[in-house]
Amino acid sequence: MWSAMFRPLFKNPKFIVGITIFIIVVLMGLVGPILYPKDPNAFAGIPERPPCKEYPLGTDTYGGDLLAKLLNGIRSSLYIGVIVALISMTIGLLVGIFSAIKGGVVDEILMAITNVVLTIPSILLAILIASYLNVRSLEVIALILGVLSWPWFARAIRAQLMSLSNREYVYLSRLAGYGDFRLAIEDLIPAIATYTFMSFILFINGGILGEASLSLIGLGPTKGVTLGTILQWATLMEAVRRGLWWWFIPPGVVIVALTSSLLIITTAMDEVFNPKLRER
Amino acid sequence: MRDHALKPFLKYLGRRLFFLVLTYFIAITIIFILPRAIPGNPLAQILSRIATVGSANPEMLSNVQKTLMEEFGLSKPLYAQYVDFITRLFKGDFGTSIHYYPKKALDVIAPYIPWTLFLLIPATLIAWIIGNTLGAVAGNKRGTWVDNVVLNSSLVVSQIPYYWLGMLLIYVFAVNLGIFPNQGAYSQGIIPSFSLSFILDVLYHYILPFLSIVIAAIGGWAIGTRLLVINELDADYTIFAVNLGMRDSTVFKYVFRNILLPQITGLALNLGSALGGALITELIFNYPGTGYILFRSLSTLDYQLIQAIFVILILAIYLANFIVDFIYAIVDPRIRLGQGEGS
Repeated sequence: MWSAMFRPLFKNPKFIVGITIFIIVVLMGLVGPILYPKDPNAFAGIPERPPCKEYPLGTDTYGGDLLAKLLNGIRSSLYIGVIVALISMTIGLLVGIFSAIKGGVVDEILMAITNVVLTIPSILLAILIASYLNVRSLEVIALILGVLSWPWFARAIRAQLMSLSNREYVYLSRLAGYGDFRLAIEDLIPAIATYTFMSFILFINGGILGEASLSLIGLGPTKGVTLGTILQWATLMEAVRRGLWWWFIPPGVVIVALTSSLLIITTAMDEVFNPKLRER
Repeated sequence: MRDHALKPFLKYLGRRLFFLVLTYFIAITIIFILPRAIPGNPLAQILSRIATVGSANPEMLSNVQKTLMEEFGLSKPLYAQYVDFITRLFKGDFGTSIHYYPKKALDVIAPYIPWTLFLLIPATLIAWIIGNTLGAVAGNKRGTWVDNVVLNSSLVVSQIPYYWLGMLLIYVFAVNLGIFPNQGAYSQGIIPSFSLSFILDVLYHYILPFLSIVIAAIGGWAIGTRLLVINELDADYTIFAVNLGMRDSTVFKYVFRNILLPQITGLALNLGSALGGALITELIFNYPGTGYILFRSLSTLDYQLIQAIFVILILAIYLANFIVDFIYAIVDPRIRLGQGEGS
């Protein structure tokens, strides 16, 4: 069953391109710091040196090794992205499922909360919250972003479950005497699984981009190197106007490679699994 | 007939207005609660930190402290602080800036707001129009090379943060090629006026930040519209119209009208993150907008100013939301003519 399900994915050129880029970047983040074990915070050598043999990506104003920073940055940014995705997915699923199953007042209250959080500009609120915290760990940044980004997902899950419960096969299962639990496991969860997985991927994107935004405005993690903090320091030190391309181009390329490869993967999955989008 | 049509229209707008005002109140309440709820009470910290901000004038220091104590009213009970906070907001009093003491926060921010609007509104609207057009064309010509080019490039471009694209544009067009200015909204030394030379100078500085927002924002709209078009082309009414023998262009006109509605809603929901991106883009370009003053206030820990900026920005977003709702109600015949439920 699994191979029948996933084989078409590997025939989709988009999926192959996306997953290849994604795996390369992830490996850079996971294995990179081990293969290139330099301290990202150390004063490695001559400041603002362009890429050379010794420093493959050059150094920054403080003589920091930018390749070491980039590899560790990928790791931390991915870490933040995954935590954000876990938090938003959990909240979104809980709210969406409760709304759909309970209905009535519970549904109305939960949806009112969802709509309010959806309308309040989350990046502004994240900036405001972060501005009041003196110490911001990677986890705190992820928490701030995570608790603000779930609403659209909760709404989508609720809508999908609502339309599912009117389907004939669900109705038949009920007639067959399925309890709530069995109904959820056999009929409902498989139906929202793909969508949830795709949303999880998009939440990772949101987390990575959100961290970069917070960092650039000076409110990123106070400890540790992320892709955002590299860009932040490049901006503070005027790397762009002084032509230090090796400082600000690689982190941006990695952010775009990472997030767009994830987006390409979800688009490919949509094309393969969504009958409406399947090529005719 | 007109009267009959006006009622549901107003009812819809009233409902939206009520929701937005309510949400705005919640947002303001969050702005009020946050500094008081976070462990360690940041407000008390600021008050003590003012002493170290580096003013050598003890008399002014005590004045700043007195003003702040009064405005925050920390000695009063919480509900009284809240009532105070809200009443002062309604009077347009956002407190006194710490860093620019004794200037009022609103006076500090006011000159920066027009620049942000000037950058954000045209860029967002033009990106929306171009993105939707590209997406609609791609969806309509699904599977052709046009579709592939639009989709594949959008998938990448939509993920480029505005500000990083801004950095690239500065590096290529200002630093290397030297065709465009590398920062600011107008040349240094020029005094803002309504003269032709000033306007040309502003437009010259406008191109790069404008392009970085437009280009980076197009992709997302194109992807969304393309999917909507593909879904609509599968809908029963489209199949019916095609089987009736309607021309493709006529069918497409109906489809386009239908996808316009969710994309208008999308525009409203996207405003917040678009603004967030624009604020950081301003920072990259040293553009004298709200992003610049926000960054200044964050780095000087001028919380009165920070609060005021957020109260104003969120208000601006909700106003824009309401304008979008208004347009939605006009575009959607179900609301305009009072048929069906609308949203």
